[in-house]
Amino acid sequence: MNPSRRLFLRNGALALAGTTVLPAFLTRAVMAAATEATAQGRKLVVVFQRGAADGLNIVVPWREPNYYAMRPTIAIQQNQVLDLDGFFGLHPAMASLQPLYKQGHLAIIHATGSPDGSRSHFDAQDFMESGTPGIKGTRDGWLNRALQAEDSNIAVRRHTAHTAFRAVALGPDVPRTLEGKIEALAINNVQDFAVGGRGPKIAPAAAAFESMYDQSSDSLLHSAGDSTFEAIKMLRATDPAHYAPDPSAQYPESPFAKNMKQIAQLLKANLGVEAAFTDIGGWDTHQNQGSTQGQLANRLRDFSDSIAAFWRDMGPEAENITLVTMSEFGRTAHQNGTGGTDHGHANAMFVLGGNVKGGKVYGKWPGLADHQLNEGRDLAITTDYRHVLGELVSKTLGQMNLESTFPGAKLNPKQFLGLV
Amino acid sequence: MSGSSNRFASRLAYSLRPCAAAVLSLILSIQPGWAQIEQAQTQLAPTRAGQTQSVHSGLLQDEEKTPSAAPDAAISKSVSIKLGAPKIDPNQTTSDPHILHLLSRFTFGPTPEDVASVRALGKNGIEKWFDQQLRPDDLRPTADDLMLAGRLADFPELQLQPDELLMQFPSGAIIRQTANGKLAIPNDPNLYAIYRRHIRLYEDKQAKKEKDQGKPESPVKAEGATPQTAETAVSADAGSSSPSSNLSPSKMPDTARPAYSDLLVKSVLALPPSQRLQRILNMRPAEFEEFQANTRGGRRAPVLQGMTPKERELLSDFENPTHTVIEALQAQRLLRDIYSSNQLEEVMTTFWLNHFNVYLHKNEETPYYLVSYERDAIRPRALGNFEDLLDATALSPAMLLYLDNSSSTGPDSIVAQRQKERAAEGKPAKATAPGLNENYGRELMELHTLGVNGGYTQTDVTEVAKIFTGWTVDRPQLGGDFKFDETRHEPGAKTVLGHKIKANGPKEGFELLHILANSPATAHFISQELAVAFVSDNPPQVLVDRMAHEFLKTHGEISAVLRVLLRSPEFWNPATYQAKVKTPLEYVVSAARASSAEIVNVHPLVEALNQMGMPLYSCVPPTGYSDKADAWVSTGELVTRMNFALSLATNHFGGIRSQWTPAFLQLTNPAEIEQLLENRLIPAGVSDKTRAAVLEQAQTQTQPQPQTQVFPPSAENPPSKITQQLQRAREQQNAQIAGLLLGSPEFQRR
Repeated sequence: MNPSRRLFLRNGALALAGTTVLPAFLTRAVMAAATEATAQGRKLVVVFQRGAADGLNIVVPWREPNYYAMRPTIAIQQNQVLDLDGFFGLHPAMASLQPLYKQGHLAIIHATGSPDGSRSHFDAQDFMESGTPGIKGTRDGWLNRALQAEDSNIAVRRHTAHTAFRAVALGPDVPRTLEGKIEALAINNVQDFAVGGRGPKIAPAAAAFESMYDQSSDSLLHSAGDSTFEAIKMLRATDPAHYAPDPSAQYPESPFAKNMKQIAQLLKANLGVEAAFTDIGGWDTHQNQGSTQGQLANRLRDFSDSIAAFWRDMGPEAENITLVTMSEFGRTAHQNGTGGTDHGHANAMFVLGGNVKGGKVYGKWPGLADHQLNEGRDLAITTDYRHVLGELVSKTLGQMNLESTFPGAKLNPKQFLGLV
Repeated sequence: MSGSSNRFASRLAYSLRPCAAAVLSLILSIQPGWAQIEQAQTQLAPTRAGQTQSVHSGLLQDEEKTPSAAPDAAISKSVSIKLGAPKIDPNQTTSDPHILHLLSRFTFGPTPEDVASVRALGKNGIEKWFDQQLRPDDLRPTADDLMLAGRLADFPELQLQPDELLMQFPSGAIIRQTANGKLAIPNDPNLYAIYRRHIRLYEDKQAKKEKDQGKPESPVKAEGATPQTAETAVSADAGSSSPSSNLSPSKMPDTARPAYSDLLVKSVLALPPSQRLQRILNMRPAEFEEFQANTRGGRRAPVLQGMTPKERELLSDFENPTHTVIEALQAQRLLRDIYSSNQLEEVMTTFWLNHFNVYLHKNEETPYYLVSYERDAIRPRALGNFEDLLDATALSPAMLLYLDNSSSTGPDSIVAQRQKERAAEGKPAKATAPGLNENYGRELMELHTLGVNGGYTQTDVTEVAKIFTGWTVDRPQLGGDFKFDETRHEPGAKTVLGHKIKANGPKEGFELLHILANSPATAHFISQELAVAFVSDNPPQVLVDRMAHEFLKTHGEISAVLRVLLRSPEFWNPATYQAKVKTPLEYVVSAARASSAEIVNVHPLVEALNQMGMPLYSCVPPTGYSDKADAWVSTGELVTRMNFALSLATNHFGGIRSQWTPAFLQLTNPAEIEQLLENRLIPAGVSDKTRAAVLEQAQTQTQPQPQTQVFPPSAENPPSKITQQLQRAREQQNAQIAGLLLGSPEFQRR
């Protein structure tokens, strides 16, 4: 990072933004100026579906006869799928995403995933988040490395001033995806992100802590303290207590919806967010996953309605957003003996955004005939998920060295799917 | 709890007594190397000691006289210490920085009592203390230990074996099996009530599910099995077994609800404790829900009033059996970490629980197995022999389930052969095809013994997995123990890391564990981890080598390896002092220890650890939590820590009370109070800048009226009237100071 830019930010705009005497419209103007450069770039929102979502019941290959043979009680019947292209259809609980597909904002990649064969949740999540399938020793996450690569791109660096909100995760700690050299911010609850109590005024305790950490000779804690109070002030300047989402956005009542709502809030507040992460659990449907109704349907309704609400909430700013979803692996093509599915291989990813070439299901379909299955049991992978992410990061964060972001993947931009 | 106020008084007395701590804290705040510290001490000690002396002189009469610890003597002796010497000179008296360094690494935070007890050991006190800690069974219990024993007695369930625990606190699987008639409900009337409730809840949930799904896929149940009929069936059953619940809410019109719940709560609370419990145990789910809704938070205390620990446990079991077990497990761990005087045993228990990580929510049974895992496998061996510990973890159902070894089957085992024959005969295969699971084999080498660069190959992983086929758990849903299943064991010899291991059933596994435990790679890997935990994030390789050498020489005697670490110049290198950043667990526990808070309810601490990203027993990957600073120093983390510090100090957590203003103390000057609290909370001291920031804030706070304190309590001015208000104002101010100190940069380190 350019130190003088950072200094300007802290001493100029943010110092102003932190004071309460400044009228709100003025702080907004100052903030806008401060982050204008950052706003040039697009913003990437990453959603991780933890627990291995059942891609075959999410983006249903309803023209595959074997699909119905393998899933006698849990398959989504042809007259119930929300048809996409005459071959694939969405699960009926995902009705809120169908219009986004039709409008060309939502693209789907099927039969994608991590090439590593692990069927362990934690290994596969770890591999997917580190961006180095099969390699345990990687210390940082792919998204952090992508931001690092962005920094080493001189053309971009010249115009960019980063804030503490550059990389933000909704949750108690920084996820593997965002771990690494670039400091990422983990926020449980935007409204509570303050020291010594929320509210428009700075708590006296917060001022004391700020002075302690600011003057500390402990360099590690000094710099963490700096970015902490920078973040708190920036957030306070946006008056988060009085924030309300756009009335057209109907968020469901769920932890995931709450996180999506808060990501929208942070993005709209113009805080310099470049990458945001959140996750949604509950996909490990080994038993009674249901068909058009039931466990998976409930999960999907939450998932889709939250994302659709997020899209509406962002309004005109949705144009600058690219949202991508992933899950550590798919589930078995056959249903198991307990009305569910076991750990499988390939899955479907969703990409939503203003500049996304949506309305299409991407990827080569490997088929579901017995001999086409991976290890005789799962949907095979035809698109390495890193091809999807590689394309998205290089078209949102800017041209970059893809080898440093996805070491060993040998990504070739010529092979990109053309999602954006 | 009178014990805790005594505890507070004694800490306070200590912190006033030697004044040396105050002097040192001032000196250390300049943060030079230790050699410089000594120089500085001689120069600064007289003035500062004089100041502090005058501040506290009125109190000196309250202190206990102890033979050691004349302040001036302590200071002058500390000057003569050769810092950084390879061995501790047996003839020297230990200085405070040495003692603090020792305690900040081998305990969950030094308390003034700890410092005093090391000092009281006199010559060679550091070695003596360490030896005592290495033999926790020989330590005489302190007042805190007795109090801890009393607290642990609140959790009788922690004495149970997994099968008993599962029977008394039924898991979801036990309830399902009981509901489906595969298991019998226990005869014990209390347990009967608990099972009945959870079976009803399960059946209601099933009925609701079917209704939601429009019964598309329930071939078992008959078409007419609607939720209503299920409910009727239950209430018919309930009618006979719970005669007292004639106030059934379902019979009441909605408008009558508020009056009904009032009446319900009142009528229950009017009963004596054991009848109250019986009345609650006989409630139907809806009635209990109503009752619960009206006895939450502050209104819960009267419900528990007068109940024995066993009765409280039953009530909690009735509400949520698995939660009762998890809460007990988490509570005992925090209580031990905070109060046990066998601190090294607790620190090492935490170290090994993290090294041999098991994730609490791996499956429904894991919480039950974790109780025994920690109690029977880890804690008794935390300071013992590594191979012994490794064997214990390999045999533990918790680990066998967590890393999936329990489901691993040899590809040529008897079971696999049968499966193939079935397939050949055209019979349907089992739902899950049995096969080799390499999860444990890999992590055993990568994380438990050799380390990621320990020189093993994928072939070794597969061979190890074959060796452990058949190592499984006997009926895990019922809490069974380790079982070797010959029919799933892969026949034939195996070769691992060049060692040929002959076909020998379960003994193959022990042979392999012996090889792994005594490998130089393991010695290095474990030594490295210990050095990271106790010395620095990047420990010197020479130290790790010496520890590894001792590890191999003693065949993995953990105490011997730790002793090499303790006696090493690297450990005593001034650069290591306060060099470690506390993990969330260390932060939360050290704050609780330092504040001497009276902790009736540990839940806020458990919750704090969740928010700080280090939930107890809940690290999902087998790597365990990081012990290094970079994992824990981040923006969000600091916000959580600062807020925790303020909430703890200002008594914002329900069930945790700290007292910062002792009644007999007439200090009003914030500087004096700050010094007093600093000695108590951060004996190593804070920087001048931190102190200035604390004081600036304290002085801008509302001050207690100065003239009120000159009035001595008298008949005209009853002490209650004058002092209460004053006391409250002071207490608020002092709590604020304490909160700032606990959130300071200095308290983040150890």
